[in-house]
Amino acid sequence: MKIEKFKDNGRYDSYMNLDEGWLDRRVFWEQSIYDREMEQIFARCWLFVAHDSQIPNPGDFLTTYMGEDGVIVCRQKDNSVKVFLNSCPHRGNKVSFADAGNTRRFVCNYHGWGFGTDGALMGMHEEYCYDAGDIDKSQWGLKQVAKVGNYKGLIFATFDEEAPSLENYLGDFRWYLDMLLDNEEGGTELIGGCIKSVIGANWKFGVENFIGDAYHAGWTHDSGARAMNNGLPFPPIDMKSSYHASMNGHGWEFGTEGVGDLFLLGRPKVMEYYNKIRPKMAERLGEMRSKIFGSVASASIFPNVSFLPGISTFRQWMPKGPAQFELRTWVIVNKNMPDDIKDDVTKGVMQTFGPGGAFEMDDGENWENCTQTNRGVVTRREKLHYRSGISRRIEHPELPGIVYQGQYNDANQRNMYQRWLDLMHAESWKDVPEQYSPRLNGKETMGPKAGFKAG
Amino acid sequence: MNLELIKTIEQTLYREARLLDQERYKEWVGMLTEDIHYHMPGIETRYRRDKTEQVHDLTRMAFYNDDLEDLKKRLRRLETGTAWSEDPATRYTHMITNIEVVPTEKEDEVLVYSNFLAYRNRNEKDQDTLIGNREDIWRKTAEGYKLAKRMIILKQNVLLSKNLNVYL
Ligand code: FES
Ligand SMILES: [Fe+2]
Repeated sequence: MKIEKFKDNGRYDSYMNLDEGWLDRRVFWEQSIYDREMEQIFARCWLFVAHDSQIPNPGDFLTTYMGEDGVIVCRQKDNSVKVFLNSCPHRGNKVSFADAGNTRRFVCNYHGWGFGTDGALMGMHEEYCYDAGDIDKSQWGLKQVAKVGNYKGLIFATFDEEAPSLENYLGDFRWYLDMLLDNEEGGTELIGGCIKSVIGANWKFGVENFIGDAYHAGWTHDSGARAMNNGLPFPPIDMKSSYHASMNGHGWEFGTEGVGDLFLLGRPKVMEYYNKIRPKMAERLGEMRSKIFGSVASASIFPNVSFLPGISTFRQWMPKGPAQFELRTWVIVNKNMPDDIKDDVTKGVMQTFGPGGAFEMDDGENWENCTQTNRGVVTRREKLHYRSGISRRIEHPELPGIVYQGQYNDANQRNMYQRWLDLMHAESWKDVPEQYSPRLNGKETMGPKAGFKAG
Repeated sequence: MNLELIKTIEQTLYREARLLDQERYKEWVGMLTEDIHYHMPGIETRYRRDKTEQVHDLTRMAFYNDDLEDLKKRLRRLETGTAWSEDPATRYTHMITNIEVVPTEKEDEVLVYSNFLAYRNRNEKDQDTLIGNREDIWRKTAEGYKLAKRMIILKQNVLLSKNLNVYL
């Protein structure tokens, strides 16, 4: 038998065929593919770095990762946000060791270089050791990202000067995001704190699960669903009025029944709350979106953020090598919710999608094994099947995006890997092909008319 | 503090640990009071000067912030027979040390400090060890001492495990 050795030449066409509907498992395993993902995807895409509510005041900061690059996200005096590398330009030491806090300076532990909250080099310990001409302080601050953007409270940053505007990057996905971020006057906030855990799986398994894998829920989470709701199984799926929608690698799978995810949260008070505000929601977002919200649904923002609208878990998959990610979870709530509802949502999320949650526990185990079985050299050359629902594409008058009917589908996953492939191959943003022409470019995404096809 | 009481509390903690090792959760729930508060806060790494209340602020993110109903809900998952990641079963050992029994203002309640080491092993060689402190209130009842309150401080910032299918 002739064994085809894995050689990474930067072309991955032969590792997936999305028209046929399969992926080669090495995409989830090879170190060199992972390294290229860091360059081609994480060093170029807009990445979520914080929610406005986490750093409300000047000097508030948090530390996070863009790919494997540690960064500090800091609120400025003029209320803008700066994002810079958490690494000192002197010898490279880490500058901040806190997850979050408030400060007037970031001072490096090694030789005492001090940086302002804007990342600029302010001064050094024993500064007299630098003679005139040794250092131009204006050039040696903490390295800034190329651009920072904000969509309705979510702060994103990119290392790539050439990246499209955040608005274009999100594209028509904004129409969907509004259901999470703008379903009620006042917008959203994250509950204080962050739960982090480590899963021995490839980061893409988390993202693709949330982007489209409604299919696993009824089986993987049978026990969780029954636990949360007095023995009742997962709510039934209606394949006629549920959908996959994706664009630019982002995706949302959803029903239109309005209650499925809320039911899984197992908190009747929260269900009541949303049912009460639903008529208002319909005025803000239209009838359709008010019915999508709360349904059995899940979504991902490319490359590594996911959430469950209605259940209110909001999470980021931080890649840590091809076979490990760090999962960061938050709870996202509407700012104007009464405190007892916020509390109830928080408890519900931690009981379902925290590390000890009735749903979460069964996911991590699956993803770890989907990754680790590829340790076998023969196993990893095998294909994985991604063809479910491949002929169910529709054009929907109101739903923007590449839309497929029936939420049991691999469509969003296929489109996510198409985006992955396009970015892995593209020399620059100019070479990234447009797989879908947006309806909402430069247009208002709110209101009952927003999603409809022009004309 | 009378030695007999200390012995009683120690034995109660060891029994509890044994029930958890053996997944005898029904009996474990029987050791909890109706008004139990079972809390394991998520604690961020912050500088010493930062006075943000991370432990006692119940509105913040927590691994557990449960009352009896909440705990029972979580445990119901195991009774369904479809909790796939629990079959084959996880192998548990809970070790409880540094037990200190302190009287409280209430005659029938004692404050109990202890440390735990919980070891988990699954399938071939999946394993982890969780270590931390606990601060409990145990209440005297007709059926012996019952746990009325537990605060668990895990000594990890990033939980170095994929899940928490374990009670500490
Ligand atoms: S490495 Fe930061 S001051 Fe030297
Ligand atoms: Fe899941």
